Amino acid sequence: DPYARLLLEALKQSGCTVFNDRHFSCENCDGCVSGGFDAATSQIVLCQNNIRQQSHMNRVVTHELIHAFDHCRAHVDWFKNVKHLACSEIRAANLSGDCTLMNEIARFKFGLKGHHQTCVRDRAIRSILAVRKVSKETAEKAVDDVFDACFNDLEPFGRIPHSKADAKRAYRDFQNRDRYTANL
Amino acid sequence: QPPRSCEDYWGEWKHCRGLRHAFHHYYAHGELPDCGRWREDYEACRAWERDRAAAAQVPGPLLACPALRRPGLLGHKPRSRGVWKLRKSPPPDWYLPLD
Repeated sequence: DPYARLLLEALKQSGCTVFNDRHFSCENCDGCVSGGFDAATSQIVLCQNNIRQQSHMNRVVTHELIHAFDHCRAHVDWFKNVKHLACSEIRAANLSGDCTLMNEIARFKFGLKGHHQTCVRDRAIRSILAVRKVSKETAEKAVDDVFDACFNDLEPFGRIPHSKADAKRAYRDFQNRDRYTANL
Repeated sequence: QPPRSCEDYWGEWKHCRGLRHAFHHYYAHGELPDCGRWREDYEACRAWERDRAAAAQVPGPLLACPALRRPGLLGHKPRSRGVWKLRKSPPPDWYLPLD
C-alpha cells in the first residue's frame, strides 16, 4: 500500500525503522476501537477482532503510522498535553484516508464543500475522547486551537492523498526530494 | 538547474486541472484549486532551458521551492512546529526490546 510505504520510508529516514515483530502487535480490543499507538512502548496495536477488510486494515495502519511518525520527529507529550494529541489526531484523520467522501457516505455523513475538514475535526475529537479522560469541551477546544496549523502540516505526504494514486504521487515526490535539492 | 524536469511541472499542471483533483480540492478546502503557478513554473523552466546556452540563472520562482512548495518537502518547516518541538534525534527507546 503506497500510504504505508511512504510512511515507513519517512520513519526510516527519521531514524525510526519499523520492524514488524517489534513495532506492531495484533490484539483483541474492547468496543469498536480499530487500533492505537502506544508511545510508552513505541508500538502500533492493531485490533484483530475489529478489522475485517483489507481496506480498513490499510487505513488503520496508515493512521497509526502517522502517530508513530509524529512521535519519531517531535517531542509529543501524548499523555499530558491534549493539544499535542489533538494535532496528531488531526493529521492522522486528514492524511490516512479516514475522511474520504466514500467513507463519510458509508457513515451516513453527507457533505461536499469543505466537508473533509468537518470530518477531520469530528474524528479527531472522537479519537481524543476515546483515549483520554477529558470533557468534550476540552477536546473540542484543543482541536480548534491547533486545527489550522496541524491540518496544514502534510508531512511526509506533501499533499492530502485522496486515493492510492495520490499516495503514489506523494511517494514519488518523497523519494525524489533529495534529487530536487541537489538540482538546485 | 531547475529542481524538476519541465515535463514534471507540465504533468502537475495537467493533474491539477483535472476533474478528479478539482473535486477533491473542493471537498477538502471548499474552493477550486489555483493551478496557475504550475503553469508559470513550466514556462519558467522552458525559458531556462532555452537560455541555458547563455548560462542563464535558474529563474527566481523556480528557486523559491516551486513544485516543492508543498509543505513538508525540502525541509519546509511544518506548520505544526508552533504546536510541538521537533526532535534533533529519534526517541531513545524506539529500538529497546519490550519487557
